[in-house]
Amino acid sequence: MRCKKCLHEIGPEELRCPYCGAENSYAVQHQKNMKRFKKDYKKTRNEVIRSAQSTRGLATRAAILIVLIIGCIIMTIVTSLNYVDPDPREVNRRDAERHVDEYVSEAEEFLKRGEYTEFVSFMYAHDLNNIARDKTDHLVSVSYVAQEYYECIQLMEEIILRSTDPDYFDGLDTDIRNFCMYVDGFYEVLEVQRNRKKSEKYHAYMDDMDAELRAAMRTYFSMDDRELEEFLSKSEAQKAVILEGILRHE
Amino acid sequence: MNKMLKVILDILIVVACLVFLALTINMVGSFKYANREKEDPIETERSVFEYELRHKSYGEVMNTYYVKRMYNFEPQAGMEDIYNVAEYAHAAFMSRVYAEKGDDRMSESNALRMETVRNRLGDYAYTADEVDEVIRNAP
Repeated sequence: MRCKKCLHEIGPEELRCPYCGAENSYAVQHQKNMKRFKKDYKKTRNEVIRSAQSTRGLATRAAILIVLIIGCIIMTIVTSLNYVDPDPREVNRRDAERHVDEYVSEAEEFLKRGEYTEFVSFMYAHDLNNIARDKTDHLVSVSYVAQEYYECIQLMEEIILRSTDPDYFDGLDTDIRNFCMYVDGFYEVLEVQRNRKKSEKYHAYMDDMDAELRAAMRTYFSMDDRELEEFLSKSEAQKAVILEGILRHE
Repeated sequence: MNKMLKVILDILIVVACLVFLALTINMVGSFKYANREKEDPIETERSVFEYELRHKSYGEVMNTYYVKRMYNFEPQAGMEDIYNVAEYAHAAFMSRVYAEKGDDRMSESNALRMETVRNRLGDYAYTADEVDEVIRNAP
């Protein structure tokens, strides 16, 4: 740059012209600005350091707290997974979902062969009552009747095949009570399901189960047709008393 | 303000540490539970089965069979004898039902089934005779 007075070349940082001694106003202003910038810089730097020092503790504490919370969540998840016992039916359920068509056909074969207890066991074991309802919906009505039939036959078998050993636990009273409850349940469900038009195709199976149950009661409770009808018309408690009389005094 | 926040955070950290400690103990317990020695259910079932046969409680054998079949339609390894004995007992029970009902078709297929299952009984063939006697003499 040039001196304003003598127009000689001078450096931009020279405060006075070395030739004429005139003041270099640009250099003077620059020096003032630099002093001010340095002062502002120091002030800002001190403020930042002060602020950082005052919040440093907070950030550390917050980080520790977040780590502890995450640790607690992970441990809760691991603990809950350890306490869950595997569902034994899960394997069967997945298998049934893959082969639902095949299993539904097999269930219907049991019905056609008149193997009603096998039908119910098969439906339960493969959870066909719950999975793929659109494919098993047509079996719902006959399933309800078959389940009650299944309970009645199971209880009759337990009653007839019970131990006569006097040292063995005698559960006859409970079995009789349960049988009376289930036989009433069977006829209630049968009446409801027979009135459903959707289940017309399966009415023959329902009637067959009814016939078998009646035959079983006539055979094993020593009843003729009239006695059986009278027995079925009684209340649950009255039925139990009749059966106690038959089975305890055999 | 910052001091107050620091105090609050300190309290929360102490509480979180206590909870962390409790959860750690709980988690160790959960691993012990997951790796616990489990009883062999098949061995238990067989032991109960033998006891029931000693007392000729075929009704209880049927009960076990029906319950197990709700989970496993085919017998698991070690449960074959229980299933065979129960199947024979069920077939024997139903034989009189079909006879009373007059259903020749079912009577015939049931008789065949009884023979097939009887041949599978092996060491437990004696149970077929006992069941036949009970069914024959019932009620």
